[in-house]
Amino acid sequence: MIRLVRAEWTKLFTTRVWIAMLLGACAMVGGFAALLTGFAGNPESGIPAVGTPLFEQLALAQSTNATVLTLILGVIGMTQEYRHRTATPTFLTAPRRGHVVVAKVIAYALAAVPFAVVVVAVNLLVVTVYAGARGAAPELNGDNLEVMLTSGLSLAIYAIIGVGIGALLRNQVGAIVGALVYLFVIEQVIRSIPATSGAYKWMPGGGLEAMTATFQGPELLGAWQGGLLLLGYGLVAAVLGTFLAVRRDIV
Amino acid sequence: MDASRLRGQEFAIRTGSTAAVEPVRVDVSGLTKSFGQVHAVTDLSFSVEPGSVTGFLGPNGAGKTTTLRALLGLIHPDAGTASFNGAPYRALPAPIRTVGAVLETAFHPARSGRNHLRVYCRAAGLPLARADEVLVQVGLGEAGRRRAGGYSLGMRQRLALATALLGDPSVLVLDEPANGLDPEGIQWLRGFIRHLAHDEGRTVLVSSHLLSEVEQTVDRVVIVGAGRLVREGTMAELRSGADGAGTVLVRSPEAARLAAALREDGTQIRSEDGDALTVTGRTPAEVGSRAFAAGIELHELRAESSDLEEIYFKLTAGQEQFAAPSPGSPTQETAR
Repeated sequence: MIRLVRAEWTKLFTTRVWIAMLLGACAMVGGFAALLTGFAGNPESGIPAVGTPLFEQLALAQSTNATVLTLILGVIGMTQEYRHRTATPTFLTAPRRGHVVVAKVIAYALAAVPFAVVVVAVNLLVVTVYAGARGAAPELNGDNLEVMLTSGLSLAIYAIIGVGIGALLRNQVGAIVGALVYLFVIEQVIRSIPATSGAYKWMPGGGLEAMTATFQGPELLGAWQGGLLLLGYGLVAAVLGTFLAVRRDIV
Repeated sequence: MDASRLRGQEFAIRTGSTAAVEPVRVDVSGLTKSFGQVHAVTDLSFSVEPGSVTGFLGPNGAGKTTTLRALLGLIHPDAGTASFNGAPYRALPAPIRTVGAVLETAFHPARSGRNHLRVYCRAAGLPLARADEVLVQVGLGEAGRRRAGGYSLGMRQRLALATALLGDPSVLVLDEPANGLDPEGIQWLRGFIRHLAHDEGRTVLVSSHLLSEVEQTVDRVVIVGAGRLVREGTMAELRSGADGAGTVLVRSPEAARLAAALREDGTQIRSEDGDALTVTGRTPAEVGSRAFAAGIELHELRAESSDLEEIYFKLTAGQEQFAAPSPGSPTQETAR
């Protein structure tokens, strides 16, 4: 299993997808953090003022926006085997295909950890410098550290979900488009309709919000429950994908 | 041959030297696979012997690729088994150290050939240096550091072959390996395949839809048509066993004396033209040994490939998946 995990890392780091995703995540998170800090305390924006605990937690949770990129990274990690037909040599080397899926889950979860550290660090840097310039850099107190930790963890968990979705759908474009449409359209609709918003807390977006949200929103689970829920979604998708899709004939 | 040794052993990594290779026999038994309404393979059985090159022949759509993929555990057969010294592919402890396969030339276009190979070194627990060794072995060398997306078709075939050789396997399964190679590359591939089987004792199964492409390379043939076994045997058996028998062209300064010697054995001489004889119903080996016994010098001795091609054509005629009526096609004359 260690061999297969290392093989997945070799695959990941011998193309440039990870660099693009990391740079994209840093730019995205840095940008959101800067925007948020810039409009902090502006009465029209509704963003709390710099120096308040609410602002600091909100600003430091911007890393979670990059979950969409670690999700895509995981999807690509799994579906590239089918897109570029490397599934053939991969499954010739490791004929027990479930082992390959497990190795990918482990490899992407662990690779997402340094990825998350960099993204969270960029987030902290931008907020510290900009908010510091506007009067009050955030302190590294318990609440702020917890937000940073859960934000970073959410990045790793979304990479696992990506691998799971990829295993289930096998088609790269379909899996990415499907995941984005789900996250940005379907869940937003469910969240906003009163009749279905009760179910939202059990959905991936609800789990993510539970982990890191500081705004007032719909009813949510606790942070750790949300994290476990997300992890469960990723693992269920990976297991279902293994049995329903990955074990199919490679023709 | 000892299957338990095969399972537990670490195989020494070699660069294609003369060291002995574990002999592994390949058995396909009763293999059947349908894709929806299409019966790709039906009750197919054959075996592949160590130390020899077996040609796996059949027209397009005859079920060759399906058979090879089922052999390698990529396709689940509806019935039947395929095994390596009795063990199915999935049960092999380190499969790529026992079996190397060239099935298609697909690589991640952004990854270099060398890194592609290193991925599978990692996965199989082989030293990374093995990637460089096989690159040299297939003649890619420095090109291995370039992105595989920029490779020519021939380079892709060579990289696929390098991938198959990574684990220094006892068995090589090659699906249409000559596709995309230039004449020089095909020549090199033929020599390489013969070397792997005859000098190093590996088991080689090589598929092709063209008999002429492999007839100089293979020792045995397994011919399939429409998913069923049509003929299995040595090349000599193929030549002599089919209708119209084999034809051998022989040149000798003593052609008349050779013709007399052959007629003595009841051999048919179809034509005599100066120093050349055309002999039917015999293999080149038989003609050669007769000449040797009589002390007759030979200048040329070869099977007439056009006849062999005709035999192959007769055996598989009417079994193409995509039969298209075309004017002037010999299908009309040879269909059964």
